[in-house]
Amino acid sequence: MTAEPKSLRVGETLRLRIVAHVDENILQLDNATLPDLSGFDSLGDERRCSTSGHGSDCVEVMTLSPTEAGDRTIAPTTLDAIDARNGKPSHFATNSVTIHVGGSVQPHGVTRALLDDLLKPIAILLIVGAAAYALLWGFVRRKPPPAPVPPPARPVTPATSPDPLLQLVAALARERTRACVLAVRDELRRRVGAREDETLDDLLARRATGDDPAVPGALPAVERAAFIDDFQLDGAIDDALRTLSKWHQS
Amino acid sequence: MTVPAPQKPQVLLDALAATIVGQRATLEALLSSLIAGGHVLLEGPPGLAKTLACRALASAVGGSFKRIQFTPDLLPSDIVGTRIFDQRAGEFTTVLGPIFANIVLADEVNRAPAKVQSALLEGMQERQVTIGPQTFPLPDPFVVTATMNPLDSEGTYALPLAQMDRFLVKILVDYPSSDEEGRILERFGGETPVLPADVVSIDDILRWRHDARAVHVEPRLKRYVVELVGATRARHDYVDRGASPRATLAMAALARARALVAGRDFALPDDVRAVAPAVLRHRLAFNYRTLTDKVDPETIVAGIIAAVPTP
Repeated sequence: MTAEPKSLRVGETLRLRIVAHVDENILQLDNATLPDLSGFDSLGDERRCSTSGHGSDCVEVMTLSPTEAGDRTIAPTTLDAIDARNGKPSHFATNSVTIHVGGSVQPHGVTRALLDDLLKPIAILLIVGAAAYALLWGFVRRKPPPAPVPPPARPVTPATSPDPLLQLVAALARERTRACVLAVRDELRRRVGAREDETLDDLLARRATGDDPAVPGALPAVERAAFIDDFQLDGAIDDALRTLSKWHQS
Repeated sequence: MTVPAPQKPQVLLDALAATIVGQRATLEALLSSLIAGGHVLLEGPPGLAKTLACRALASAVGGSFKRIQFTPDLLPSDIVGTRIFDQRAGEFTTVLGPIFANIVLADEVNRAPAKVQSALLEGMQERQVTIGPQTFPLPDPFVVTATMNPLDSEGTYALPLAQMDRFLVKILVDYPSSDEEGRILERFGGETPVLPADVVSIDDILRWRHDARAVHVEPRLKRYVVELVGATRARHDYVDRGASPRATLAMAALARARALVAGRDFALPDDVRAVAPAVLRHRLAFNYRTLTDKVDPETIVAGIIAAVPTP
């Protein structure tokens, strides 16, 4: 958060600039808490967010006019949000800014008024130039402020549902029953494009699983678990899970 | 005296394959039938090593082997044996026929009349033979391998369906590939083939039979067997009668044997489907349309099998 100028007199204006960088593309930053600005008249408030490949920069520029003389400290702007980096609720805050406000502007006759008339456009140009310089400098040198992140960063997930085979394998590992074995076998057969009349030998012979080299290893193991005697089922399920795990890792 | 180490079925299969070039399916079916305790009907043109395969099997298991050439003038006593009067002893004595062997090759079984065929088939079913007043059990194991030549049908006596049903499987022996034929030329070259001798023992065979009976067949697989056999009885354009429950038993027994040969103690749908054509093809009664439409019965059997979803 910056103020320009930091020293002025009552009745004059300053621009308070608050900058926030967010690692995601957003259109606006809604939940920032602005500091208490009592002692200033608000003459304008401009907000904008610009996005790039690196996220969004949100800038709020407030035009303020002090109403009382003296040193005034504008407290930090704060933001409460979920930090997408660790998923925890965090409190973000900018720096504070101290403004020196002198006595009020007093007119001193015609000469001063004339001088003011002449100098005023120059001063305005200088102020605008300085502001522009500061703005550019701020963008170039700006160290990313403690990253206020947008409200709840939603994890990016594909639109498709979870792999049914993985769900069935998980169920097999959990329940270890013949029914689960058969469900895995059915899904595996469906996945390798087995017809109703095709047996394991057919599938291995035509290498329907050629694009997935681990599947041929998984098929016989699952077939074994599907047809082995009950008293050997446990060991067969272990073997099947091992080969399925190998397939999954590949 | 040393006791030979127990052998696995694969050893016998490898020994047979070392003698017979190609014909892998025939050798596997022979071995599976031996383990399942059934008889084998081999059909194929002459000169395809049908007899050699049977001789090799008998030699490799160290059992007795007898060959009977079936001819139109063969008598039942030429197979089962007869009683002759011993003048010196003054009494009838029994002379056992060639059926008393562990492996019997009935060559061109369809060239003998029905009563001779019946004499053989009765022995196959009952595993015993009655000669005069006496009944003689046949040796164990007892396997009949009968051959038929599909090309020369003149002067033959077709086996009735009821008798065909007694064969566990019917194996079609086909011509070798050109590569195999080249290897046949190199391996034999006019010399007498060397048969594998005593690769396994009769005790091994009996143990395999015991092990095969213990091979697990899941209920879903049993249902598949029943559905396959049941499918042959469904209305079909080319089939008048389907297979009997004996086919159901044969299919399950052969599937168990095949699993054992593969080194498994449980059967898979592959086992059932692999043995199904050999179990079913000689048990179906194909109607006249098969001939008029020139439909290959093998295609019909394959279609019936393919129509039943595997478990």
